[in-house]
Amino acid sequence: MDDLWGNIDYAAFVGLFCIGLYVVVAKQNLIKKLLGLNIMETAVFAFIVTSGMVDGGTAPIIGPGATGPFASPLPHALIVTGIVVAVSITALALSLIVEIYRQCGTLEADELKGAE
Amino acid sequence: MSQAFDLVMLALLIAMALAVARSKDLLAAAIIFSGYSLVMCLLWQHRGAPDVAMTEAAIGAGVTTILVLLAIGRTRRREK
Amino acid sequence: MKKPLVAVTLAAAAVPMLIGVAALPRPGDPTAPAHTHVAAHYIEAGARETGADNRVTAVLLNYRAFDTFGEVLVIFAALAAVIAVRSPATPGGRADDMPGPGPGLPISPVVAFIIRLTAPFIALFGAFVIFRGHVSPGGGFQGGVILGALLVLLSLVLGRGAERPLLAVPLARWLQAAAPLAFTGVGLLGLALTGALLGYPAEPERHALRELMMITLDVGIGIGGAMIILGLFLEMRGD
Repeated sequence: MDDLWGNIDYAAFVGLFCIGLYVVVAKQNLIKKLLGLNIMETAVFAFIVTSGMVDGGTAPIIGPGATGPFASPLPHALIVTGIVVAVSITALALSLIVEIYRQCGTLEADELKGAE
Repeated sequence: MSQAFDLVMLALLIAMALAVARSKDLLAAAIIFSGYSLVMCLLWQHRGAPDVAMTEAAIGAGVTTILVLLAIGRTRRREK
Repeated sequence: MKKPLVAVTLAAAAVPMLIGVAALPRPGDPTAPAHTHVAAHYIEAGARETGADNRVTAVLLNYRAFDTFGEVLVIFAALAAVIAVRSPATPGGRADDMPGPGPGLPISPVVAFIIRLTAPFIALFGAFVIFRGHVSPGGGFQGGVILGALLVLLSLVLGRGAERPLLAVPLARWLQAAAPLAFTGVGLLGLALTGALLGYPAEPERHALRELMMITLDVGIGIGGAMIILGLFLEMRGD
């Protein structure tokens, strides 16, 4: 339990991930599900960025004369690309959702099940 | 001080995520999600990741929100 | 879905994750694996090996350039998919099946004025972030999304509808492919110079060329990213 308190950041991101997961599985509205998916994504991003943090560390921009410690640049690079991919996913999902609404007239997953 | 800032930010994030989950109004949920992204970006800036914070501020708080708003404009605003 | 099933799903996800994070090294621990393997090498040798003060840019464009190449292809493919999903515009306009605040919503003059007032400054900031990406926070993606957000804002007040697009469509299509094209060009140049795809010349006297290649990639990613974000926005708006 001590370890969990020391890693309270990570535990908070697990909490955020679970809130997003709850929205995805329990809510019926497709746009709401997509917002839940985005919350899950940002929770994962925050988890990875936090793993690159270092005590007293500054941004990994190391010009002449800069003194460390520096945060790890690798997680940052992964997440920068990850955020851009996430917005592509969101846009594709939203355009599918708009098409579904045009065809079926509803956004609720349980109603869509009946409306072939 | 730094620890307290982090804890406040984390509590704010969880509260905003819960607000997104609870809101029946999709427009309100999208706007709260925008604020959530902005808080997330402050947290990352604080953790030595200015590149990620910059991207998240433009993408999460800006572009994602406007895409969701457009989708709501073309469908319906209320969740059943 | 049934409430107990939701609770079981959440517990099944949360409990293993909490056990897992309790076993992780404390965030900020300098001896954690995140800081001791390649990351330490990137920080220590990055300036010598890549010429980029900003190690995030060094990782994106040099150490992990293949990943970045694949990633720009992913967002390009996402735009292509969004365009493909859109149903063909029906003759006689689509306004009737778009209730609510759709494309026809007039923009408040205050908002339009503020957008026009701030646009040059946002553009300057975006360009600065792209071009200085290897020595200060920023780079292609970061500046690209800033420019993309600017283009979205501008298209709220300018170039409304298919009759008056912000950019001519053929030009826009090429600019949307700017990032994959820049990667292909620089990658083949690297192949010719060093024998490895996306390789950079390492000789000290060719540092200017190496810097030029990285800036080309950054500009390609920036322009391509901005145009793809604008394209996604316009498709969603139904232009």
